[in-house]
Amino acid sequence: MSTDIKELQDLIAREKNAEEKVRKAKEEAQVILKQAREKAEVALGAIESDPAWEKLKQARNDEIARKKAEIREEYKRNSSSLEKIAQQNLEKAIARLYEETLRGKL
Amino acid sequence: MSLQALQSEIERKAQEEASNILETARAEAEKIVAEANAKTANLRDERTKALRRKIDAQEKAELAIARMDRKGDLLRVKSGWTNRVFEEVEKRITKMAENGGREYNELLANLTLEGISKMNGSKFIIETSLRDKEAISNLLGTITERASKLKNDKVTLHLETLQTKTLGGAVVSTEDQVQYFNNTLEARLAAASQKLEGTIRQILFGPGDANE
Repeated sequence: MSTDIKELQDLIAREKNAEEKVRKAKEEAQVILKQAREKAEVALGAIESDPAWEKLKQARNDEIARKKAEIREEYKRNSSSLEKIAQQNLEKAIARLYEETLRGKL
Repeated sequence: MSLQALQSEIERKAQEEASNILETARAEAEKIVAEANAKTANLRDERTKALRRKIDAQEKAELAIARMDRKGDLLRVKSGWTNRVFEEVEKRITKMAENGGREYNELLANLTLEGISKMNGSKFIIETSLRDKEAISNLLGTITERASKLKNDKVTLHLETLQTKTLGGAVVSTEDQVQYFNNTLEARLAAASQKLEGTIRQILFGPGDANE
């Protein structure tokens, strides 16, 4: 084999190596893009079950329950106060209606 | 160009192309992830706002219902006390009528005279319970005399037994029974209860409660 042919073969081998290097870079690029897309899908998919929303719902439900309990307590206080006042004024109310019922207008 | 230089150029170009490919892919990957993160953040924000709006509406509705229920309970308490007054007055009136005596006889005479005063004419039918009929017949002279003075005319009264059950009092009607005046105790109590419902509530619960 002459020196010229050997050099040419060497050149062809280097050319093939170069092509292989580019092909591998393309493959690696595809992997990088695939991983990025998967990461994006995971991020978007996580929205469907955000634990922060469950916490928010729970916190607000607790708050609503607390406010309802406050309303009930307020009602109990009002009711109790009303009963006391009504008990104190019962005879006066009875007397007023009794008097009106029996009051003749001639 | 020498062969060695050509070989170097091939390697350099290949390296440059590979680097470019990877660099572009990395940049594209960063962009994909950044866009996804931004979209996720926006969606999360929108959904959080929507969730808050939903819970706000739920809170508003639930608290309004709770307040309405409690208000209903308070109204029931008030209504209970008001009814207690009506019932107690009915009991006392019933007892007073059953006991009879001078006070009740005077009331019976006045109820009859009030009925007479409300109608035209001079001849009237007085209907009472069997119990009161006996009492009123003893008072008939006095009642007739007072009625004649009221009417400025000679009044004639005819006593009848009321066919329906009554606590007491009288139903007065003209002789032709075209006009009548129900002055039974239950009719008076019903009228007074209706008229005074607001007043009774005011007395029981204080001012401001009459129309609640």
